[in-house]
Amino acid sequence: MWAKLALKLFSREFRRGELTVISAAIALAVLTVLTLSMVTERIAQSIAQKSSAFIAADRVLASNHAIDTAFITQAEQQNLKTAQMLYFDTMLFANDEMQFSSVKAASNSYPLKGELKVKSALDAQTEVAPGAPSPGNVWLSESVFYSLNINVGDQVELGAALFNVEKVIVEEPDAPFNVFSSSRRVLINIDDLAKTEVIQPGSRVFYRQLYAGDEADINSFYDWLKPQLKENQNWYGVKDRQSPISNSLNRAESFLLLAGLLGIILAAVAIAVSAKRYCERQYDPVAMMKTLGGSRDMIRKIYLTHLLMVCAMSVIVGLAIGYGLQEIATSYLAKSMGTELPMAGFKPWLVAISTGVICAVMFSIKPLLDLFDIPPLRVLRRNLGDRLAVSKIHIGLSALTVFLLMWLFSNNIKITLILFASTLALILVLFLISKLIFGGGRKLGLKPGNSWSLAIASIQKRANVNAVQLISFSLAIKLLLFLIVLKNDIISDWQSQLPSDAPNAFLVNITENELEPVNEYLAQKGIQVSEFYPTIRGRVNAVNGEAVAREVSLQDNEKKDEEARSGIGRELNLTWLEEVPAQNDIIDGKWFADDAVAEASLEESMLERLDVKLGDTLTFLIGAQSFDAKITSVRKVNWATLKPNFFIILSPDVLSDFPATYISSVRIEPEQKRDFSQLLRTYPTLTAIDVDNFVKQIQSTIEQVSLAIGFVLAIVVLCGALVLISQVQASLGERMQEIVILRTLGAKGRLIKNATLYEFLLLGGLAGLVAAFFSDIALLIVQQQMFDLAGKLHPNIWFIGPVAGGLFVAGLGYFMIARTLKQNTQGLVRALA
Amino acid sequence: MSALSQLNIIQVNSLSKVVSTFEGELTILSDISFNVKHGESVAVVGTSGSGKSTLLSLLAGLDTASRGEIVLDGEPLHTLDEEARAALRAAKVGFVFQSFMLVQSLTALENVMLPAELAGKGDAKEQAFALLEKVGLSHRVDHYPSQLSGGEQQRVAIARAFVGSPKILFADEPSANLDSKNGHMIESLLFDLNKQNGTTLILVTHDEALAQKCERIIQIEAGELVQNSTEEMANVG
Repeated sequence: MWAKLALKLFSREFRRGELTVISAAIALAVLTVLTLSMVTERIAQSIAQKSSAFIAADRVLASNHAIDTAFITQAEQQNLKTAQMLYFDTMLFANDEMQFSSVKAASNSYPLKGELKVKSALDAQTEVAPGAPSPGNVWLSESVFYSLNINVGDQVELGAALFNVEKVIVEEPDAPFNVFSSSRRVLINIDDLAKTEVIQPGSRVFYRQLYAGDEADINSFYDWLKPQLKENQNWYGVKDRQSPISNSLNRAESFLLLAGLLGIILAAVAIAVSAKRYCERQYDPVAMMKTLGGSRDMIRKIYLTHLLMVCAMSVIVGLAIGYGLQEIATSYLAKSMGTELPMAGFKPWLVAISTGVICAVMFSIKPLLDLFDIPPLRVLRRNLGDRLAVSKIHIGLSALTVFLLMWLFSNNIKITLILFASTLALILVLFLISKLIFGGGRKLGLKPGNSWSLAIASIQKRANVNAVQLISFSLAIKLLLFLIVLKNDIISDWQSQLPSDAPNAFLVNITENELEPVNEYLAQKGIQVSEFYPTIRGRVNAVNGEAVAREVSLQDNEKKDEEARSGIGRELNLTWLEEVPAQNDIIDGKWFADDAVAEASLEESMLERLDVKLGDTLTFLIGAQSFDAKITSVRKVNWATLKPNFFIILSPDVLSDFPATYISSVRIEPEQKRDFSQLLRTYPTLTAIDVDNFVKQIQSTIEQVSLAIGFVLAIVVLCGALVLISQVQASLGERMQEIVILRTLGAKGRLIKNATLYEFLLLGGLAGLVAAFFSDIALLIVQQQMFDLAGKLHPNIWFIGPVAGGLFVAGLGYFMIARTLKQNTQGLVRALA
Repeated sequence: MSALSQLNIIQVNSLSKVVSTFEGELTILSDISFNVKHGESVAVVGTSGSGKSTLLSLLAGLDTASRGEIVLDGEPLHTLDEEARAALRAAKVGFVFQSFMLVQSLTALENVMLPAELAGKGDAKEQAFALLEKVGLSHRVDHYPSQLSGGEQQRVAIARAFVGSPKILFADEPSANLDSKNGHMIESLLFDLNKQNGTTLILVTHDEALAQKCERIIQIEAGELVQNSTEEMANVG
């Protein structure tokens, strides 16, 4: 019998729109989580795949010595795809011309990830190569053609072997991140290596084994491989590399995570408000049912059935819309990214369903328990039970739920704690501010009869309700402003690091004598050039006089566990400078004084990798000479700029006597390519590293991530709007009562309409102002702490906040109660009854 | 059941209601005793705040007394918990309120059927329909409360009050929210149905004329019983 009654009541309540907001809020929470989780997972997977292309594999085993091919055999047995490569620098000869080049000898399966793009002639269309060149053939980058004055079909001499020039290299997936690791590219098949006879004992060669496959298979292979790795072997994935792209990806991931969390907070507020409102509106029916003999048990069953049905329906609707939305979004993104996005796993579904159920249960349970407790006596004493409406337990439970949801979604307790604590602090401050504003306002003398006076009186009269509304509005506006500004800052920061005139090539191996003529030539030809930095290759082989062996692995999370000194023994590019480079900040210690003697400045990650601290003494070995230098400063380096950066900088006194070469970055416009080639011909030892393709790849990734961020932002705006709707709905009953009274007393419709509009305008404006204040403070902290951006204030949001807040809240609020305002007094009285 | 219980459907003995306020304890009802016979109609009158609605709530088992006893159709209310009191109301009591108290999401017919459904009784549709016919609303059975006038809503409430054939009907200012024409119609309906069903009627009102239509008047002032037109009945036995 109770089930029939429960279903009947549910269907009627649903049709009457009593459950619309709570259902919409749960559905929105579910669809937000599902859409965000799916979109971010699919983009992350796609970006991870694309990122893998940056190293042409999922993992790379690197060494300066030949690597055991048994590793390849074992990896293939463990279902991994493999490839082998090696790099070395040598001279390339053709038509009496010679060019110092960087040779890459690759096996047929290269690249495992990403695409190797080539042209069959200098003026031909770009195509994707199926693998490395076949034996006997060589592929060259475009600038080599100009340097050697050759064409496709000509022959080049590499060591003891002759090669047929078959293709022009347009884009290598693993274009160099490190400006020192590559030079003008020559690509041959690894099987041709022996006949070149270039590799001799003592030759400087970089060996690489590439691996790709399922993450589980890779990890399982690494478990087998790890004990066998030698000191000179290095295992890494794309995330381990210090590169602009990994920094950008980390930021994008942080932003999407943050936006998702804020969306959940907003949806949660909407659910809490609407669930409480629904239960309050059921106080009378429950009191009536109890009066008519309905048992507590029956009432409990009826309303728990309602909860179950709302939950099930909303979750299903949320999942359906969420899936549809993410399909639209991902197909749009896939189109603009020019790639298929991989399917998401089951985790987003699980997280979304859990979110829906947790929201429905946790935000409804206390109002429902209150509802079960409504005394039947309420039928006679109408305000009985109203006191239950303000429940600390409900607030506490809601806060706990928000915390759990944030944790569930972010899977990161630190971010959850920071966001949760700052939101709580914000609510507390907002509550005090609203008490002050609304309490103080009561003292104002107001003239009756005009809309502004009525609006202000209305705000003052509902001081407590308005305090809650102000908090909700401010929170919603604050989160929206916060995300919009942060999005713009992140994107403009990326764009400022990679402006359209960003350097697109590095110039290395410039000798002291060449410095002046090269600089003059570049200036004469109008080629933009940045500063020239001296470099010397050297090693750190002892810390505080103690020689230390180095660890070999860079696998995720292992550095600290194993206290690896992964920079020890490795050859590094050292420089000496009098001033701190522009893209460097000193975060600890002091930069070299003018009279500094044997001092070193280390990049912060190098400090960790060497496991050293400020004040330690490092022993450097350059050639056969060794010297000591004391660490006197630590630098934070902005790796996202495409300018030469150094892990270790030494004070001028220790290195200035060593023979150094110089490095700089240049911007070569297409029409300057020939002039630039001429420079390389004039100075054959000079090497240029073309990073144009790499810059383009980063710029396209930034574009895609910006699109994703914009999409996520739109969803969060929807959540914010729902909070506003639920808040306006919650005060609708009281507003109707007031309108009835004012109408009965003869107030004109225009007066009431304007008063309502002004009330929302004032509330929204005030909320916007408070929101602007707090979002600017939050932005300042988050930009510095989470996104590594320079913190700055945003005066424009102090204007945009109140204006947009006022207009948004007024527009939405007015739209919500427009129907009520249109009703005649009799209709309103009946609706109220 | 004693002879007194058989004669009286309600027995009230030394009933008091005290509530705690910020200023201290406030006595709403003080030491009230009276009886009501089966089928009798009793008006409870008094000025605003005199305690008449509190008395109604105690008699109907909606609230509990601070001291004293109430026996409702042989059941000592003061010994019953909330669930037992609810069950007793479902079996024996009907209500009509000033503010109609209809469930907005149910139609007129469904509102009338509600007490039977809550009591777990079978299909009460026929009885509900017959009652709506009696109150002149057979053409409005599928209408929702918001689609009915105040007078019509109160007629639905009256039909609902009689659906379980209750022994006692409690009415709290049943015509206070209505215009005089509708008010009179409601009063007539209430008394007619009461007579037809042999129900005991306890009517709280501040309307002298309406009170005069009852067989007996109990007047409460400042929480004390100041007039009971058949006072000697309370002392029988």
